Amino acid sequence: MTLTRKGQAVTLIGLLSLAGVYVRAIGYTPIEIHQGLAQKIFYIHVPAAIYAEVAMMLVGLGGVLYLFLKDPRLDRFAAASAEVGTAFAVVVLTTGPIWGKTVWGTWWAWDARLTSTLLLFFLYIGYLLLRGTVTDPGARARYSAVVGICGTALIPFIHLSVYLFRTLHPQPIILKPSAPSLPWSMLETWLLSLGAFTVLYVGFVMQRYAIGAEERDHA
Amino acid sequence: MPETIPQNGGFMAAAYIVTAVVLLSYTVALYLRARKR
Repeated sequence: MTLTRKGQAVTLIGLLSLAGVYVRAIGYTPIEIHQGLAQKIFYIHVPAAIYAEVAMMLVGLGGVLYLFLKDPRLDRFAAASAEVGTAFAVVVLTTGPIWGKTVWGTWWAWDARLTSTLLLFFLYIGYLLLRGTVTDPGARARYSAVVGICGTALIPFIHLSVYLFRTLHPQPIILKPSAPSLPWSMLETWLLSLGAFTVLYVGFVMQRYAIGAEERDHA
Repeated sequence: MPETIPQNGGFMAAAYIVTAVVLLSYTVALYLRARKR
């Protein structure tokens, strides 16, 4: 079984898991009284945001290791993670404003969390454009590694921005030093969604990595 | 007096549909790129 086939199988499991999360979130998870059904956007928005950030951290890690080891597989992994992270960033930047419109009364605010997340998306786009324009594989991998490391440096700022600045975006209710401020019934659905997004990330990266490897073989 | 729950299910539906469209589109894009190789 090739890596592409394995990746497709993992992705299928991830998509089926996400369908299960949809059913559980919509049909079997309590409705939050202040926000109504719009609160259920939380179950897809937050896991997508976590994986948009984790993907960039892994791009940076792949870049650092590439600069030391010069192993092209690390560069290929970083490229795969960047593309998948871009897809998750699109989910974050579309579901966030939809949720914000009904809860805050506005689609967008230029506060620290939203602006830094938009910057993360632009960094992903810049990373992918860079890879598309530099033809020499060695130079492309080196430049991409530097952009990836810069992107990774942005991640702690995104997470801490809600503590450092006055923002419209709320502070974390799960990823914080104290216990999650969420009933177990809601936390359970969120954890299932996080699992589904984890499987999707792995499946997507496996497929994208395999495509990158084949591109190299045909070059 | 009991609080009224906001009627905003359309926003939830929109967000869930957008997520499904983005993720399914990327899945199909990867499938087609792999087939072209």
